Amino acid sequence: MERRLQQLFFALSVLALLLIVAAAHQANTPSWKTFQHNYHVLEAQGEPNEVTKAAVLATPPEVHQFMLTGLQRVDRCTTCHMGVEDPTMKNAPEPFRYHANLGPHVPSKFGCTICHGGQGLATTTEDAHGKVEFWENPLLSKDYIRASCGRCHKEGDVPGVPELTEGRHLFETQGCRGCHKLNGIGGTIGPDLTGEGASHRAPEWLETHFLTPNALSAGSAMPNFHFTREQAKALTYYMLSLTSEDMGSYYSSVRLIPGPEYGRKLFAEKNCITCHNFGGIGQKAGPDLAGVTTRHSQEWLDEQLVNPELVYPGSSMPAYDLESNERKALISYLSSATPADVQQLLSNKAKALSPQDVAIEAGKQDFARFGCVGCHGTELQGGVPNPNAQGGEVPSLLHLSDDYTKDEVLAVIRNGRVPPIDNANGPPPPLYMPAWKKVLSDEDINRIADFLWSKQQKKDAW
Amino acid sequence: MNIFREVYQSIVRRDPLSTDKGKSELVFLNVWLHIHPAKVKKENMKFRHSFYLGFITFFLFLILVTTGIALMFYYRPFPPQSYQDMKDLQFVVFLGPFLRNMHRWAAHGMVVCVFLHMCRVFYTGSYKKPRQFNWVIGIFLLLLTLGLSFTGYLLPWDQLAYWAITVGTNIGSYAPFIGGTLREVLLGGHSVGQAALVRFYVLHVAILPSLMILLTIVHFWRVRKDGGLSRPVWKLKAPSTAGLVTIGTSADAPLVPTQAASTTKTYGLMEVVTGKPIFEQVTPEEEEDTVFSYPYAFVREAVTLMATVTTIMAMSLFLNAPLEELANPAKTPNPAKAPWYFLGLQELVSHSALLGGVVAPALMVIALLVIPYIDRNPSRRPRDRKWAIWLFTAFVVVNLVLIVVGTFFRGPGWALVPPWVHVVGRPE
Repeated sequence: MERRLQQLFFALSVLALLLIVAAAHQANTPSWKTFQHNYHVLEAQGEPNEVTKAAVLATPPEVHQFMLTGLQRVDRCTTCHMGVEDPTMKNAPEPFRYHANLGPHVPSKFGCTICHGGQGLATTTEDAHGKVEFWENPLLSKDYIRASCGRCHKEGDVPGVPELTEGRHLFETQGCRGCHKLNGIGGTIGPDLTGEGASHRAPEWLETHFLTPNALSAGSAMPNFHFTREQAKALTYYMLSLTSEDMGSYYSSVRLIPGPEYGRKLFAEKNCITCHNFGGIGQKAGPDLAGVTTRHSQEWLDEQLVNPELVYPGSSMPAYDLESNERKALISYLSSATPADVQQLLSNKAKALSPQDVAIEAGKQDFARFGCVGCHGTELQGGVPNPNAQGGEVPSLLHLSDDYTKDEVLAVIRNGRVPPIDNANGPPPPLYMPAWKKVLSDEDINRIADFLWSKQQKKDAW
Repeated sequence: MNIFREVYQSIVRRDPLSTDKGKSELVFLNVWLHIHPAKVKKENMKFRHSFYLGFITFFLFLILVTTGIALMFYYRPFPPQSYQDMKDLQFVVFLGPFLRNMHRWAAHGMVVCVFLHMCRVFYTGSYKKPRQFNWVIGIFLLLLTLGLSFTGYLLPWDQLAYWAITVGTNIGSYAPFIGGTLREVLLGGHSVGQAALVRFYVLHVAILPSLMILLTIVHFWRVRKDGGLSRPVWKLKAPSTAGLVTIGTSADAPLVPTQAASTTKTYGLMEVVTGKPIFEQVTPEEEEDTVFSYPYAFVREAVTLMATVTTIMAMSLFLNAPLEELANPAKTPNPAKAPWYFLGLQELVSHSALLGGVVAPALMVIALLVIPYIDRNPSRRPRDRKWAIWLFTAFVVVNLVLIVVGTFFRGPGWALVPPWVHVVGRPE
């Protein structure tokens, strides 16, 4: 017995040792080391002589990583994708191929996963590509990678990604906010979309959902908007970009890509033309801005926009609170502007509207912006199906004045309303009028009512 | 050469192990080994008496301390870095996954073994006089084990951790009057957040392990002072049949009864204290039935240690500790479950928060604590304590059933869903 026990102790000790060796072996032979070796073999082929070849092959294996504090991530993708920044790897097989067209998006500042998705911290193929349980942000397929541009470039046009602009436009004009909240504004019938891009739904799911809302969420209250395939894709792009991440200051500074288009908008908004003129068009209180970009350096102009008094003591130009990208945009517009264009800006401004028209126009915009059009239609025609509500659909708003006073309409907008039920035993209708009093100011609500009243048609006169 | 000899002898002062004196001195001249007696009863080394569960638990604790300290080098108790540290362990730290797996599996193993150890002690009646208080200390060690496991559960800061602790601390908050405050003190706020993580971390790596070590020392000390391990029950059954054979008589001749010098030999600190010692009395026959701890007890302990270590290492090589997505307070998993050893409680809470979350567990702990004082039956023989055994078995079975139901039979919305039914899709 005692002898047996001693043998057992010995055997178990050997087993423990073996297990430690096995664990160390497992830890010491990760797949990325094989990738690195293969990459060095590939690299060595390009070396002129045996000595440099040997040196390349002898490169010790190490984990490569980008520490991206501003993006709150660490990307180790280049541990295997070693040729990303090496143009000679243009035709190399994956995972070693060179990444063309990076432009300003250098990996050391942006990493990889902010655009591509995946798990930057991981060092095995499966985990890194994020197609594993408990990592909800897998690699985006090629079709949808460009949606990631919208994570930083949240406004304006992104060159090469018209889908984002289109998606944003559709969202604001098709009445999505009537049911969905985004950044705190919108209805409560559908889910809040503020972090939709971070909810890790597959892009294909989103796209199908936009085409036929009922296909994936049975009984969804979302009406079928009869979007085209392109529109559905644009909306999908926009959704994917809505991650509500906390971006570092640098990354959020490029919400708008500085360009002449954006500069033109700022030029008009900030009313530069009330003091300045451009080749004689405008006012003479400030200097002529035509050719200003050739007379002064970029830096000088930038400084002038930040603090005019510093450049010209006693200057009457106010210091505008412009972000550095806004200043860049303005300067780029000034370098490309023509007197004719400025003339057009001026004439746009000249269109005078009566205060009444202004209020109605504002009401119309609110009606679209806060999503009323989602159910009631851009022409107030209604008609969106709402099963088991009386009439089976969302009512038209064109004949409100027949049945309601304006005060009653105001009350409905403020407090919301559940539509009368057709069949008391059936399920409640999915759509209802949300209460807007906590979302909209009284001013907005009054404007919307003004807009509605301006559109009222009398029913058949008899 | 003399200098080496001198150094060796300055460290090892005992006689050679080939002598009985050396074997004794190995034990009592060594600070680590002197918790053992120099000689142990043969019957106490029987595996089927104790299953060495106490030792296994202690060795698991040693594994936990060792791997835990190693893990501390890689861990920052701040969200969300804590989660990133888990990923670093998984992907870039040499032997990181192995260490974390060992810590995880040893922790679960310890909860199981403490519980089994408690069952063993109950069924052998070893909590009875004079060991009552050591049982009480054992219950506190069980609670500390649960506390350590629970506080460690939060540290990875993934969804599993976050929601298990949210649910777990909610159960605690059902206690009347103090529940809410208790939860707030534990979490450093009203919900699980950064403050909670730091508090759990300090509890996990400093306060609870210190208490654990202190109580373990007391527990071991009391084992010695209460007369060593309890005697196996089957030994209690067998009356002494020792007898003397007269040389030259036939084999079936009756034995001549032995004549003990005294029927109750006792040990005591002579001339210092008076009266009899409190521990079990040892008869002369029993004393003859002892062997030196070295090597008999030590080799068994060493085998147990290595068996425990290799089991945990083998598990860690092939089974990865779970790590879910980063903790997200806005995304409640359905169902959100407490750690498995609290799922019995959660199951009770699902029926009645106050009864299940407070009254039942409090009664359970109190009942366990007072067992040695209300069980007035002096006998340790199973046939004399049918009631006690039935009651305790019912307690164990009910606990196990509740845990199994909570773990495997509860689906979204805490609805009863058998584990073989697959719930399609994730609820929105």
